[in-house]
Amino acid sequence: MARDARTQEDLTVAASEQANDPIHQFIVTPLMSDHIGPASFTNASLFMVIVSLAVTFLMVIGTSSKAVVPGRLQVAAEMAYEFVASTVRGSMGNEGMRFFPFVFSLFMFVVFSNLIGLIPYTFTVTSQIVVTFAFAALVIGAVIIYGVMRHGSHFLHLFVPSGVPALLMPFIVLIEIISFVSRPVSLSVRLFANMLAGHITLKVFGAFVVMMLGGGAFAALLSPLPLIAIVLLTAFELLVAVLQAYVFAILTCVYLNDAIHPGH
Amino acid sequence: MTKPNDDQEDRNLKARLDALSNELKVKQSDLQGAEQGGKDAHVTRTGQAMSLGFRVLAEFVAGVIVGGFLGWQIDLWLGTGPFGLIVFLALGTAAGFWNVYKLAATTTSR
Repeated sequence: MARDARTQEDLTVAASEQANDPIHQFIVTPLMSDHIGPASFTNASLFMVIVSLAVTFLMVIGTSSKAVVPGRLQVAAEMAYEFVASTVRGSMGNEGMRFFPFVFSLFMFVVFSNLIGLIPYTFTVTSQIVVTFAFAALVIGAVIIYGVMRHGSHFLHLFVPSGVPALLMPFIVLIEIISFVSRPVSLSVRLFANMLAGHITLKVFGAFVVMMLGGGAFAALLSPLPLIAIVLLTAFELLVAVLQAYVFAILTCVYLNDAIHPGH
Repeated sequence: MTKPNDDQEDRNLKARLDALSNELKVKQSDLQGAEQGGKDAHVTRTGQAMSLGFRVLAEFVAGVIVGGFLGWQIDLWLGTGPFGLIVFLALGTAAGFWNVYKLAATTTSR
């Protein structure tokens, strides 16, 4: 009996705390009851579709008019193109432009899911490590496949730096291999952790406002302070969203550059 | 007679040169400040510094984690007790430092 009462109490507490739970926004829930094989259409999938549609909309509609004096959408589309193109050219040279569609798609998807995730009540696709790790694995897979295809066994020179004494060589090669394997981990964890931390911070400050409003007169008077903090943090998160997408794109370029010119 | 005169002229010229270069410096720093636009620049710089710091952290932690994971799996696979974990954790830490070193070397040379 007593145990039942306690669980009941726990449940009501849990229900009232769910509104303040900073992790609740990351829960993936299926939106439809029918499964497609082992997979189901979740809120994450919904927002992936939305992000892809938004990118397609921007690029297709933005470039359709081809005006000499561009409109707003066209400027946005052209700026995105030129920005990524100059990044790719700057880090990989003209030869790297064959990877431009790949890098551009990655960058646009990441930047759009970061930005759309900042809108309240949306889901941030890039706050799921499985998504960011899939991207990172795709990048490293492309590096390995292209490197082996293009250079064959010469690609392995990536792990053998020149001018190292023979005695140290085994250690250096092992360290280089671990360093290479750690690339997808750091690439995915960085994006995921930035998004996760930013959204949790925003949510915690939001919960502060609610809790202080309900916490007596003095606390209620101070409650605008976290609200101001949220406004500033949202601006900062906007910066982080774009910056992390840029970092993801430029690191993709750096790693792909290793595939084009291994051993430098 | 000519020697002190030359010295004087040299000194005058040097003083003028110093004053001019100082003025130029002040103007250039003013221009830079105006270009970066005060508070926005501050926020951007903070964001970039934070992202660089986060990059360093991620590179280092990833090296250690990957090394530890490899060692753990090798121990499970070959049954070599704790030695695989110990050796590969050390190698992973070295790889983490190596990652950070490479990152630092490229950012300062840029």
